[in-house]
Amino acid sequence: MALTAQTSADGATVTMSVIGRFDFNIHHDFRQAYENAGDSIKNYVIDMKGTEYMDSSALGMLLLLRDHVGGEKSNIRIINSSKDIKKILEIANFNKLFNID
Amino acid sequence: MLSFNNGNDAVADVSLNVLIVDDELSNLLLLKAILSSAGHHAIMARDGSDAVAAFEREQPDMVLMDVMMPGMDGYEATRQIKARAGERFVPVIFLTALDDERALARCVECGGDDFLTKPYSRVILLAKIDALARTSKLHSTVKMQRDELVYHQDRIQKEQEVAQRVFANIMHSSSLSEPCIKYLLSPMALFNGDLLLAARKPSGGMRVMLGDFTGHGLSAAIGAIPVADIFYRMTAKGFSIGEIVTEVNRKLRMILPPGLFCAACLIDLDPGEHQISAWNGGVPDVLVLGDGGDIHQRFISRHLPLGVVGDDKFDIALEYSEFNRGDCIYLYTDGVIEAWNPRGEMFGQARLEQFLLSNKNAENRFDGIRNGLLDFIGDQSHSDDIALIELTCDGRASRDFDVAGQGKLRQPSVSAMEWQVTLEFGPDTLRNFDPLPLLIHMLMEIQGLRGHREHLYTIIAELFSNALDHGLLGLDSALKATPHGFAEYYQLRAREIAALQQGRIRIDLAHAPYGMGGKLVIRVEDSGPGFDYQSKSYVLNESTIASGRGIALVGSLCDTIQFSGRGNIAEAVYSWRH
Repeated sequence: MALTAQTSADGATVTMSVIGRFDFNIHHDFRQAYENAGDSIKNYVIDMKGTEYMDSSALGMLLLLRDHVGGEKSNIRIINSSKDIKKILEIANFNKLFNID
Repeated sequence: MLSFNNGNDAVADVSLNVLIVDDELSNLLLLKAILSSAGHHAIMARDGSDAVAAFEREQPDMVLMDVMMPGMDGYEATRQIKARAGERFVPVIFLTALDDERALARCVECGGDDFLTKPYSRVILLAKIDALARTSKLHSTVKMQRDELVYHQDRIQKEQEVAQRVFANIMHSSSLSEPCIKYLLSPMALFNGDLLLAARKPSGGMRVMLGDFTGHGLSAAIGAIPVADIFYRMTAKGFSIGEIVTEVNRKLRMILPPGLFCAACLIDLDPGEHQISAWNGGVPDVLVLGDGGDIHQRFISRHLPLGVVGDDKFDIALEYSEFNRGDCIYLYTDGVIEAWNPRGEMFGQARLEQFLLSNKNAENRFDGIRNGLLDFIGDQSHSDDIALIELTCDGRASRDFDVAGQGKLRQPSVSAMEWQVTLEFGPDTLRNFDPLPLLIHMLMEIQGLRGHREHLYTIIAELFSNALDHGLLGLDSALKATPHGFAEYYQLRAREIAALQQGRIRIDLAHAPYGMGGKLVIRVEDSGPGFDYQSKSYVLNESTIASGRGIALVGSLCDTIQFSGRGNIAEAVYSWRH
C-alpha cells in the first residue's frame, strides 16, 4: 500500500507515510487514515521520506486534512520532504499553514 | 453415455422462438414436441432458403439447423442468417448425422455456435439451448450497456464542446490577441484547470492573470467562471490587483470545497511609470528577462493560492519592479516544469531557464521555448496541462485598445461634469462602517475618473485615516516607528474606534471641467483639535519617518495639498485629462 498510518504509543500522534506518488490515487486511503485515527490524536505528521512525487491534488488533500482537524487550530507537521517536494510546498506557500521541517 | 431421460424437465425460464430447419418432416415434428415440452415455440422450415426467409420474417431467438438438405444446405443458410442477424446474437446449433471431424469443424467455420450429432439426447439438446440462451442474454446486455456508454460518452463530448464555447465567450478577451502577448495553452486547457485572462486597464496599462485550479474537469472549469467575471468586471472599473485577488479569494472560498483552490499570478504593466506590479500565490517563479537576455527579476510565490484562507489571513502585498521597453515577462504553470518526456524525465525549472537564456534574441525566444517544450514532451496526451505566456513590455500606454467590456475609452462619451457632494459621518457610523468603498464607487461613476481609481483611492484613504486616526482618535504616528509599535498602533486604533462616542468627519468632493479634463477638490474636515501644520514639512523621501509618509504620498499624487483652520482641514486638488 502506498500509505501507512501509525499511531504513537501515547495515542496523541499519528504519522502518515506516503510511499511513491502522492496524488489523487491515494485520496481514499489518505482520507480513511485520518478519519479513522481516532479522537485522541492531537498531532498529525506527514512523513514524505518515501514520497517521490507530489501533485496539486495532494496539496488539496493536505488542505482537507487541515480542515478536518480544525483548520487554524490544527497541528500538522510535514517531515522528510525531498528538495523537489519542498519546492512544490514552497511555491504554494504551505509553510503558512503547516509546519514543514 | 447418452441417456434418454424422460423425466419431468422444468419448463425453461424464458420462452424462446426457435427456428427449426430440416428436410424431414418427422424430424421437425419431433423437435417441435421437445421444444414445446420445455415451453419454447417452434418455427419450421424445410430447406436453407426457406430458413433464411423464415428468419427474416419471424426474427427467431435461436436456430436448430440440419446440414444436408436439398437446395441450399445448412452451412450456406447459416452464413446468410448470421449475416442478416448483424450485431444481434442469434445462436445456431447444428443437428447433424455427420460425425466426421471435418464436417463438424465446418459447422463452426460457417458461423454455427454449437453442434449435436444425431441421434441426439433430448436433455442435452435442451441444456444446450438453455446455455446458448444465457450467452445470448449476456450478449444483448453487454451490447445494450455498450450502446448506452457510447451514447453517454457522445453526449458528454457534445456537452463539453458546448461548454467549451460558452467558456470561450466568458473568457474571451480581445487583449489576448494583442501583439505584446504570446501564449501556449492547449484548447482543452480550461478543463485541465488552466486559465489565462488579459485586459487593458482604464489607465491604459495591461493586466494579465494566470490561474491554475487543483483538479481537472468540470470542477476546475466551474471555478473559472466567477474568476474571469470578477477579473474583467473589476479591471474595467479600475480596481487594483489587491482588490481583485481579495474578491476572487473570497468568492472561491465560498464556492469551492476545502481541497480545491486556484494558484494564481496577476501582473500589471504600467507603461507610464515603467512599473511591473505582481501578486503571486502558488504559481512558479515569474521571470523577467531584460534586453541582454538575462533574468533580472523573479516574482516568486509569496502568497497562498486563492480560495485557501479567509480574509483575515489573506495577504495582498504586491511586489514591484521597474521595466524597460523590450523586457519580457514569462509566466507558466507547474505543468510546464513537471512535463514528462517519453523516457520519464521531467522538463524541470533548470531546463526552462536554459531555454530562456540561450535565446538572446527576444523575437524568437517564445517560439524557441515553445518548440523546445513540445519536442521534449513528444506526442503525448498529457501535454494538455501546459500554459506558458510571454508578455512583452512594449512601453505603449495604449489608450487605443479596448478596455475590458468598456469599448474604446479614447473618445469619452461624457464630458467632465460640474457637481459637488458633501458627506458627514458621526461616531455611530465611524464605529461600524468604512465609507471609503462607497466614496470611491460614487466617484467612479464619473466616466473620466475611472482610470484614476487607484490614485484617488490612495488620496482619499490617506486623508480620511489622517482625520480619523489623528484628528478624532488622537493617535500618535510616532508609535509606528518600530515594528512592535506598529502592531501596537493598530491595536490601540481598533480599541479607540470601538469606544468612539463623539466627533465628526466631513468630506466635500467638488468636481468641475478643467482644460481637457476635470479637476476634483477633496476636502476632509474633522472636529478634532487639529495640529500645528505650519511647522511640518511633507516631502516624500527615503528619510521620511513613519508619521509624515501618508500625507507626503498624497502630495506626490495631487496637484496641491493644503491644511487650514487649526490643522483640522485638509484640501487636496487632483486634476486629470482625457
